[in-house]
Amino acid sequence: MKSVAEILKEIRPEFDFTNSTDFLADGLLDSFDMMVLVSALDKNYGISIPGTDIVPENFQNLQTIETLLCKNGARL
Amino acid sequence: MISQVHTVEEVLEGIQHAKAKATDFRTNFFPVQARIQAWVSHGELWRAARESATFFLRKDRDFWHFYFCAASPMALEREAATVAELKTERVVTDLVGRESELSDPVASLQSVGFREYARLRRLVRAGRAGESPFATGDVLADWAEESDCASLLRLIESAFDPYAEQLPTLYEVEAAVRQQQVLVVKYNREVAGSLFFETQGFASTVRFWVVAEEYRALRVGSALMSAYFKSQNTVRRFTLWVNACNTNAIQKYGHYGYAPDGLVDHVLANQTIP
Repeated sequence: MKSVAEILKEIRPEFDFTNSTDFLADGLLDSFDMMVLVSALDKNYGISIPGTDIVPENFQNLQTIETLLCKNGARL
Repeated sequence: MISQVHTVEEVLEGIQHAKAKATDFRTNFFPVQARIQAWVSHGELWRAARESATFFLRKDRDFWHFYFCAASPMALEREAATVAELKTERVVTDLVGRESELSDPVASLQSVGFREYARLRRLVRAGRAGESPFATGDVLADWAEESDCASLLRLIESAFDPYAEQLPTLYEVEAAVRQQQVLVVKYNREVAGSLFFETQGFASTVRFWVVAEEYRALRVGSALMSAYFKSQNTVRRFTLWVNACNTNAIQKYGHYGYAPDGLVDHVLANQTIP
């Protein structure tokens, strides 16, 4: 199973996600990347992130994404 | 029957409605929340809820943009076929992804009456520390002013295809001008050319780069591009979308270091669009 950081690196290899606290405000992810990320997280962790959780605050940084995954039953 | 969307929450619930039943979730709906909020505030966004899919229609000039969130490709085909507006109104839709991933979704939308209308390619350029300006002669670009908005919009509308290229509304142009995201070159107070972009953090997208016909070959375009790179010198990733048939524009962007990254946007139109 890949880590969140590895999945992000596959989507945007040119950016260092570990140094950002707000991926969207920093422009590291755009809206298309967000949906690619949701799909990749769903598949990787065998979960379904609810549409109502696809909001910017859940995708701000590695910590908020991991919190979201745990909330939806993923085992990190 | 479609109903107007009044809140961003209705959009999220619509996505969830389809996602909750998903076996192979499909969507072409990727807007950022601020954009959804703007569409809702301006009364542009409508939705049609079905058994295993939610469809969104966004009013733009005299036509609609169609977005889908569907539990599966079958649900998309079956339930999009029940949206009456796809047969009676002018409608376009976009499918974004790698070319190899798009043949099935294109076929699904063709089965409900869409046809291929245009294809856009994404071009990408890496930001370079200490950007050195391109030679522009005596032509100077500056930030657009509020009084330029109407003529800016007319210039964009005269040069781009509204069905294929997601033209801005007047309120979007006004907001972009306020945020210093529109550069212009003027001759005798007339807008000769413009570069309209969106920067978010370390990423920046050129939305429209246009020079009025009577001002071409005067280095207006290069002055705009030079000013753009100079003003966005902290950006690490530059992107833009260009019509795949517009080889002249692709060549010009190539001159500035842009190259295709493999992402394409199939624009499909329904039968009411000539």
